[in-house]
Amino acid sequence: MDATDQSYAENRGAEPAGQPRVGVYICRCGGNISDVVDAEHAAEICWHIPGVVVSKVHTFMCSDPGQQSIIDDIHGEKLDRIVVASCSPFLHELTFRGAAIRGNLNPYLYEHVNIREQCSWVHKHDPQGATAKAIALIGAAVGKVRQSRPLEKIRLNNRRRALVVGGGPAGMKAAADLAGTGLPVLLVERTGRLGGKLVSPQSLFPTGIGSTQILEKLESDVRSTGRVEVLLESEISRVKGFIGNFDVTIRGPLGPSGALTDVDVSVGVIVMATGFQPYVPHDGEFLFNRHPGVITTVDFQEALACAPEGKRLVVNGREIRRAAFIHCVGSRQIEGVHEPGPDGRLNKHCSRVCCTTVLNQAIQVRRRFADTRVYDIYQDIRAYGRGHERYYSEASRAGVIFLRYHGDERPLVSAAEDQSVHVSFKDYLSWGETIDLDVDLLVLAVGMTPGPCGRIVDQLKLPRGEDGFLQEIHPKLRPVEISVNGVLLAGTAQAPMNLQESLAAAGAAAVKARAMLVKEQVELNPYVARVNTQRCEGSGECIGQCEYDGALTMVEESPGVRRARVNPGLCIGCGACVAVCPNSAIDINGWRVEQYDAMVDGLVLQNQPA
Amino acid sequence: MAGQFNPDLHEDLRRFGARDLDMCMNCGTCTSICPMSEDAGGGFPRRVIRLVQTGRQKRLEASLDPWLCYYCGDCTLNCPRDANPAEVMMASRRYLTARYDFTGLASLFYRSVWAELAAIGLVGLLVTGLFVFLHGPVVLNHVALNTFAPVKWVERGDWIMAAILSFFLLAGAARMAWWTLGGPAMRRISPAIYLRQVPAFFVQLFSQNRWRRCGTHRSVVRWMKHLLLVSGYLSMLTLVLILLRWFQTDHVYPFYYPQRLWGYYATAALLYPTGDFIVSRFRRKEPIHMFSEASDWIFLIMLFLTALTGILVNVFRVNGFPLATYVVYIIHLSIAVPMLVVEVPFSKWSHIMYRPLSIYLAGVKQAAAEGKLLAVRDAEPVAG
Repeated sequence: MDATDQSYAENRGAEPAGQPRVGVYICRCGGNISDVVDAEHAAEICWHIPGVVVSKVHTFMCSDPGQQSIIDDIHGEKLDRIVVASCSPFLHELTFRGAAIRGNLNPYLYEHVNIREQCSWVHKHDPQGATAKAIALIGAAVGKVRQSRPLEKIRLNNRRRALVVGGGPAGMKAAADLAGTGLPVLLVERTGRLGGKLVSPQSLFPTGIGSTQILEKLESDVRSTGRVEVLLESEISRVKGFIGNFDVTIRGPLGPSGALTDVDVSVGVIVMATGFQPYVPHDGEFLFNRHPGVITTVDFQEALACAPEGKRLVVNGREIRRAAFIHCVGSRQIEGVHEPGPDGRLNKHCSRVCCTTVLNQAIQVRRRFADTRVYDIYQDIRAYGRGHERYYSEASRAGVIFLRYHGDERPLVSAAEDQSVHVSFKDYLSWGETIDLDVDLLVLAVGMTPGPCGRIVDQLKLPRGEDGFLQEIHPKLRPVEISVNGVLLAGTAQAPMNLQESLAAAGAAAVKARAMLVKEQVELNPYVARVNTQRCEGSGECIGQCEYDGALTMVEESPGVRRARVNPGLCIGCGACVAVCPNSAIDINGWRVEQYDAMVDGLVLQNQPA
Repeated sequence: MAGQFNPDLHEDLRRFGARDLDMCMNCGTCTSICPMSEDAGGGFPRRVIRLVQTGRQKRLEASLDPWLCYYCGDCTLNCPRDANPAEVMMASRRYLTARYDFTGLASLFYRSVWAELAAIGLVGLLVTGLFVFLHGPVVLNHVALNTFAPVKWVERGDWIMAAILSFFLLAGAARMAWWTLGGPAMRRISPAIYLRQVPAFFVQLFSQNRWRRCGTHRSVVRWMKHLLLVSGYLSMLTLVLILLRWFQTDHVYPFYYPQRLWGYYATAALLYPTGDFIVSRFRRKEPIHMFSEASDWIFLIMLFLTALTGILVNVFRVNGFPLATYVVYIIHLSIAVPMLVVEVPFSKWSHIMYRPLSIYLAGVKQAAAEGKLLAVRDAEPVAG
């Protein structure tokens, strides 16, 4: 059997015999590179780099013929190392690794050199310099790849069970959807019942369906599969691990119903559905907590639900002839105008749901209580969702009077005689005229602030955005994933959302979670630390440097013999341990110290006198 | 204070024709498109719309803006929300007409078409009754209109009616001036300013020249038609109020005689524009005629019928049909008198006073503001 016919499976993992045979492929990128970098000259020079047995130029390396030439040379020229000098590795590193695999070569015996972004694009006024730099970078890559060893992806067993943190609507939806795919799910809720903010009865926009109805449906979805284990009055006290292998300690019950106990569970993915907190105005902000006539939209929702029918609305025993709403309380805060919260942070974000909430409530007041007048004091009406604009039109039609203030000129609120509240502000729809209003009820449209997500955020180092909400990897391309692999975002833990969006996000997180758990094993990048057991003397320096909890541990292998051990699932391959080891006993797969040395040699190679 | 708001104002205006106002989101497209906006101090017509939206009734009553709009309809054609701002201005004029009238009849007629029709019918029956019971001898061998309805008595009736109408119209004008000039603040304006603006009133009354600057939508043509109508109306008013003895004769003068020529001109100048406006309102093509309230129809139809019966009286008289002349004469007056009694002080026709008066008052305000006698923008309206 011819050596070139060996299957990749047989070939891979084997050290290439004898001197490595390197193929260098330089891409013109249709002129993007070759208009500046002299590709032909560079290819000519590369012939002289030790180990190079093929040096070629192609107009588009990423094209099928380009990739095929690599595969052909692996067979024809018996190449066992490949270097492609082209665009950014973000674009095509995986493309050429794929070509290596198709040529039965281990994909980690491939190096990618970026001579477009790093040479032709940035040095377009210096073609000679750009060409010299490209040659130097290729030299470094050839040096490195000659030292490369075949690597395999790390494969770890998947614990095919999901943990959903938070039993609000998003958590319930994610749990129900995941269970619907046949997976066992653990749903952990801090309070004594499922439902989150839906527990208080209210009419939900844009459908007008009652929250109780939605909640009943979600609850039946959670229960119907029998695969969701619900833990109420519980919280996550400790979590560690990585995708497919999270070890979680759940503490409960938090209520008075029994002694606290810790339960250890292991799960493959974690869905964060920890929700939001409504903004609580400062003591005295718009007379909040100082005047019985000043409440938030959250309180008003309940007041509205239990208000007796009549000509006029009655709230807390007070008859309301005139009610006013102020929008954006605790949202879109401006430095120097608003007081920061206890954490020193301003809520600069728009909470998105409050506008339609106010319109919804204002319409309800006008429809139910003919003699209660409603004034809506807003900055902008952001009724952005499908059907939300209808609420604005309907509120207008119902006689709600809209008045517009500027964010940096907050309405002044003071207590008036006869128990009413005096509101004074400039209405910019009336050419900045000062409007003075006496109202019996002032409703503050409070926004959403980041919820307390518990210890899990610190323990897993989950990133938060500037606004304090958990931050996704990419707002458009990876909207429900967070930079910690295996953790997903569902609902308002991530950003202000209305129920519709929250449930959509939860559904997406469930599908993503399911995709992560669909395989028996998870595959991880092989670029992790590796301990040379011959050299390790157990100094422990590396463990002191390691920032990733559990990635490095000291193990007593036999009495008196302590050695460092890497958990490849937790190691991210940063190399801090490599730098401090007194015995040079630890290295990073794919980025070994010899490879760095070879790269430096390769960089300076062309500058040496011939 | 919340007293500055009347939350029902919006709803009130709806009854006067402002049906789509709740669609307005205050974008200001109407103001940017309106060619009259700048000389009305900017913000026109949105300022009026905003006053209605926020229920500032006193401020609306103190505003001259509605009268400075001549309804080209550009704002309505360009409104992104179909809030129909031009019709809001029109409704405001109806509303203000009703508010200026202290009797409350105007308000009643505008809001109830049946009340207006009943009032017209009542006055019409009264006129018919007067003729049926008090007419002179009926001469049937030749036309003797002045025997049937002696011009002396008809003239007296004319003058009594004119006095009554003038009283109500002037009362309305007084209220308009009082509110728009800021009530007691009126006294601080020097009489010279009041006097100097008087010509503007008459220039506007006879020419409506402000209208010509209004809008892009065939305004000049419409202005000319309206000018024709006004000339016909003022001619007829002169003929029947001042020159009735010369106009209503039994002797048939030759065709070229001024009595007949002037009368024919006045009739044509009434019939053509009213007929044209009726057709246009029916077709609903021009913006100004897209939305017709009952008051618009009644005004036009009554005016048309008055002119039509008037010319019929002339036809029968000239051709020697005595009985037909007398009967149509009664019908003519039973239409003309109620039209004048109901429409001039209490309905659409009152704009003959309020339109030129608004120009006059705007001039006074402007002059006073320049002389710092009256802070126009800050003038607090008084209760009315």
